[in-house]
Amino acid sequence: MPYHDTVTDMKQGISYCILVSILIMGTLLFSGCTEQSAPETTETIKIGVVASMSGPASTTGKDIWQSAELAANEINADGGVLVKELNKKIPITLVQGDDESTREGGIKAVSKLITQDNVDLLVGGYSSAVVSAHQSIVADNKVPYIISGGSSTAVSHRDDIDTSYMFFHRPNTDDSAKASVIFINEVVRPEIYKKFNLPEDRPLRVALIFQDSPFGKGQQEAVLHLIKEMDLPIEIVAEETFKMGESDFRTTLTSVKSKKPDLIYAVTFLNELIPLTQQAKRDVGMNTLILSIENNDDPDYYTGVGEYGDYTLMESRFSPYAIPKGSTSEMTKQFLDNFKQKYGGFAGMMGAATYESIYIATKAIEEAGTTEKGAVQKTLSDLTTDHMMEVMKDGKITFSPDYHESSFDLYVEQMKIDPAVGEIRPSIVWPESIKEKGFEIPDWYQPGST
Amino acid sequence: MDGNFEIIAQVLFWGIYSGCIYILLATGLNLIFGVMKIVNFAHGEFLMLGTYITFFLFIMSGFNPYVLLCASIPLLVVIGIIVERLCFRPILGTGKLNEIFVSIGLIYIIQNLVARIWTDEWKTIQSPYRDITLDLGVIYVPLDYLIIMAVTAILLIGLYLFLHKTWIGTAIRATSQDRAGAMLMGINVERMDMITFGIGAALAGAAGTLWAVSGQVFNPYMGSIPAIKAFAIIILGGLGSIPGAIIGGLAVGLVENGAAYTLGGAWKDAVSFILLIIVLIIRPTGLFGEDEE
Amino acid sequence: MNLSFIREKKISLPLITIIIALVLPHILGSNLYFLTVLNLMLIFIIYASAWNFLTFSGQGSLGHAAFFGMGGYFSSLIAIKAGVPLIIAIIAGAGLTSVIGVLIGMTCVRLREWFLAMVTFGFAVIIQTIVVISQLNPITGGWDGYAVPKLIPLSIPGSQMIEYYCILIIAIGSILLFQFLLKSKTGLALAAIRENEMEAKASGINPVPFKLFAFGISSFITAIAGALEVAHFGYISPEIFGTDISFWPIIYSITGGLGTLAGPVVGTVVISLLWEGLNALGLTYERFIVIGVLLILTIIFLPKGLVSLPDAIKNLKKDGK
Repeated sequence: MPYHDTVTDMKQGISYCILVSILIMGTLLFSGCTEQSAPETTETIKIGVVASMSGPASTTGKDIWQSAELAANEINADGGVLVKELNKKIPITLVQGDDESTREGGIKAVSKLITQDNVDLLVGGYSSAVVSAHQSIVADNKVPYIISGGSSTAVSHRDDIDTSYMFFHRPNTDDSAKASVIFINEVVRPEIYKKFNLPEDRPLRVALIFQDSPFGKGQQEAVLHLIKEMDLPIEIVAEETFKMGESDFRTTLTSVKSKKPDLIYAVTFLNELIPLTQQAKRDVGMNTLILSIENNDDPDYYTGVGEYGDYTLMESRFSPYAIPKGSTSEMTKQFLDNFKQKYGGFAGMMGAATYESIYIATKAIEEAGTTEKGAVQKTLSDLTTDHMMEVMKDGKITFSPDYHESSFDLYVEQMKIDPAVGEIRPSIVWPESIKEKGFEIPDWYQPGST
Repeated sequence: MDGNFEIIAQVLFWGIYSGCIYILLATGLNLIFGVMKIVNFAHGEFLMLGTYITFFLFIMSGFNPYVLLCASIPLLVVIGIIVERLCFRPILGTGKLNEIFVSIGLIYIIQNLVARIWTDEWKTIQSPYRDITLDLGVIYVPLDYLIIMAVTAILLIGLYLFLHKTWIGTAIRATSQDRAGAMLMGINVERMDMITFGIGAALAGAAGTLWAVSGQVFNPYMGSIPAIKAFAIIILGGLGSIPGAIIGGLAVGLVENGAAYTLGGAWKDAVSFILLIIVLIIRPTGLFGEDEE
Repeated sequence: MNLSFIREKKISLPLITIIIALVLPHILGSNLYFLTVLNLMLIFIIYASAWNFLTFSGQGSLGHAAFFGMGGYFSSLIAIKAGVPLIIAIIAGAGLTSVIGVLIGMTCVRLREWFLAMVTFGFAVIIQTIVVISQLNPITGGWDGYAVPKLIPLSIPGSQMIEYYCILIIAIGSILLFQFLLKSKTGLALAAIRENEMEAKASGINPVPFKLFAFGISSFITAIAGALEVAHFGYISPEIFGTDISFWPIIYSITGGLGTLAGPVVGTVVISLLWEGLNALGLTYERFIVIGVLLILTIIFLPKGLVSLPDAIKNLKKDGK
C-alpha cells in the first residue's frame, strides 16, 4: 500500500473513523426509532408481534402478522381496550418484530421491541430454536409474552430461566401426539380389525416418518412414550427420519413399505407432506392410510396434494374448510371471512392462534385494569376466558399453573375428494362430540401383513 | 429373498432418478469449469429458475411440461450469458476463490428476486402422465421417471454431438484444453466462455424442469443443496471431466438413497460429503482428475 | 515522508476505533437493543477476523460454522458437566475445537482451493448431522438443544454493559493476536505460502505445518466467538451450524477487505448496520438483494474491500486532475 502521502492519509483516516462512528450511531438511532416516529400524542397499548417476516418461515410469519393486524383493527374499531386505571378505552398499536427466521434476528427484534418500542406485551414466536434464543431477555425484562409457536416442550418447560412471564397458547408436542395416538387406537384399529377379521392380539402396525428437527423428534418421543405408558396394542414397525425441506421420500417410503405398516404417521411440514403423500401413492404404490399433523391443515395442502390426498387423515385444531360445530363455529367463520376480505386467501393455524392471543392480551389488560406488566402477568396466570375459534378443553382458555400452557381439544379430519371443487375436503371424524362423519376405510386399503 | 431383491431394485431405481438431476447439474458445472476454470456455486439457482420458468409457463399455457423444456432451455441460456457477462467475466483471473464469493452474492440476489416475484411459498405442478405406471418385471415404476431418464440421456447425447460434431463445440473443447493456444488459433475465447456458461445454465434449467415434472415441490431456496452436491460430484469425479461428472452423479444418487435406506433420511446430505472426503483423502485430485505438479 | 508518521497512522486508526467502541454504549445509553446489536457485531467481528486469518495462509473455508458451533457446544458442555467457570470452559472448548480444526486441516492441506471449500462445507454438514443423532441426544440435547450459562449472569446489575466490555476486550485481544502473528516469522512464512506455494517450498518452507497452524488458530478464535454467542443467547441448538452462519464472516471479510486486519472489522460494522437500516425500512427480500449486489460490486470494483475505499477515491481524484 502506498504511504507516500502520510499526513493526508492520517487526516483521512481520522475523518474516516469519525464518519464510521457517525454512521453507527446514525443507523442505530434510525433503526431504533422508526417505529417511535408514529404519533405518540394519544395513549396506546403497544403489542409487539414477533413473526418471521423474512427467511424460510416467512409464509407463517405473514399469517401471524396479518391475523394480529386483523384482531387489532377489530378491537380499535370498537374504540379500543377499556383500561380502568385511566377510565377510558385505549387503542392498540401493533409493532412488528421480524425475527428473520434466525436466532440472531430474533434476539435483535425482541430486544428492539422491548427497549425501543417499549411494548406492553409480546405475542407471536414460531420456531422453537428462534424462541429459545430470545427467551432469556424476555425473562430478564419481565414482559408478558403470549407465544403461539415453540411447540417443543424444551422451550416451555425450561427451568434455567424465569418463564413466569411466558404463556404458551398452543398444544405442545405431547398434546398433539396424544390426540393422534388415541385416535389411532380408538378408531382406526377397531375399524380395520373388524373389516379384515384380524386377531385381537395382533398389534396395530404403525410406521413413523418424521422430520429431523425439534418438531419431529418431539413427536417421535411423545408417541413412543405414550404407547408405552398407556400400554397400547400398537407396534411401531418403522421409524424413518428425513431432513427438513426434503422433497424426495421415495427411498424412505420404499423402506417403510417393506415393513408392511397398517398406517403411516407423518410428522412433516406442508412442503414435505405433499410430495410424501404423492410419492407414497403414486411412486411406491402404497395402499395404506397416512395420518399427518395439525400444521399441515392449510389450503395449499388441499390444492397441492390433488387426488392423492383422498382418504388421508389429519390431526388438527384449525382448518380452512372444516369448522367444528358448537360455540366456536360462528367466530371462526367470521374470522375466515374477514381475513379473506382483507388479505385475499385463508388464514392458517398460526394466524388463528395469534388472533386469539391478541384478544387474550386485551382481556388480561381489561381485567387487570392497567397495562403495568406485573399486573398483566398476574391476570394472565389466573385468566379463564371462553374459547374463541380453536376448541379448548372445557371450552375455556386458561394457562396451566406449572408451565403456563393452554390446553386444546384437538380433532382428526378425514379427507375426501369433493367432485364439486375437484379437490379434497376434510370432515371431522373424531372426537365423538364434534364429529361430522364416521371414519371410513377406502376400498383400496390393504392392512400390513402380520 | 425375492422381496428383498425387489426393494433393492426399487432403491437403485430411485438412486438413478436422483442421479439424473445431479448428472445434469454436474455436467453443466464441469463444462464451465473446463473452459473458464471457475466454479459457479450459484449453479443451483439455475435449477431453481428452471423449475419456476416451467411452473410459470405451465400455468400460463397449460402445455405438456416436457414440451416446456424447449422454452426453459433457451431462456436459461440467455440468463446464463447475462450472468457470465456481468458477474464472472470481470473476475476471471483475479484472486483465488473469488468466483465462489461472487456466487454467494448471486445466490442471495437470484433467490430473493424470485421470492420477490413469485413469493417464497412452496409450489408444485403435476405431470399429465402421473397415473401411468409400467411393469418392469421386477418393479412397477411410473412412466414419468422413465421419461426423465430418457430426457437426461438425450440431453447428454445431444451435448456430446454438439461438442464433437460442430465447429463451436470443437472450439469449446479446444479452449478447455488449452486456452492460450485456442486464442492463438483465432478462437474468441470470451465468446466460448459465454456459450459454455449458457449451456451449463441450460442443463441446470432442464434439470429444473425434470425436477418439477416429477412432482417434487420447489421454492426459491431449493437450489442450494443440489448445487453443493453437484459441486461435490465434480470434485469426486475430477474437475473438468464429463465422464467423471456422469459417474460421480450416479454414484452420489445411489449412495444417498442407499444411506436413506440403511441409515435413515437424515444422513442423506452428510453421506455424500463423507464419500467426497474419503475419496479426496485417498486421491486428492478426485477419481478422474489429472495429477498435477 | 518520514517513519514517525507512518507509525502514527498505523496506531492512530485502531486507537480511535477502540476509543469509539469504548464510549459508544455511553453515548447511545445503556439500552438493550443497541447493546444486543453491538454485542452481536463484536462477536461477528471476532468470528470474521478468525475466518480472515485463514485466508492469510492462502486457504479458505465455506464451513466455518462447524468451528463456531463446536466452540459453542464444547465450551457450554464443559461449563455444565465439569462445573468450571465459563471463561475457563470457553478456552478449553476452543482448545478442543482447534484440535479438531487441525485434524480437519490435515485432510485439507493437500487440496486445491475449490476442493478445500467443498470439504470444509461438507464438514459443517457432517458435524451437524452427528450432533443430532439420537445416540448423542443425552449429551447434545439433539435438535432441542439446551440452556447455557450466560456470560454475565442477569442477576448482576448492568450485565449487558459488562458483557459488552468483556466481548470488546476479547475482540481487541484476538485482533492483536492476529497482528502479532502476522508480524512474526510465522506471518512472513504464511505470506510466502499464500503468494506462491511452489516458491515457498523451494526456499525451504514446508507449507504443511504453517497451514495447519493457521487452521488451528483460526478455529480456536472462531470457537471463542461461537462460545460467546451461545453464552449471549443463553441457549444452544444445532441451528448454529447453519449455512448462513458459515457465509456471514465471508461476506463481512470480503466487503471489508480480504487479507487485511481492519477488513473484517469494517465489513462487519458496515454490513450489519446496513442490514439493520434496511430492516428498519421494512425491506425483507430486498435486504438480501442489496447485500448480494454489494458483495459482487466489491469483488469486481474494489477487490481490497471497503478499507481501500479512501485510497481508491484518492486515486480517482488524482486521475481526475
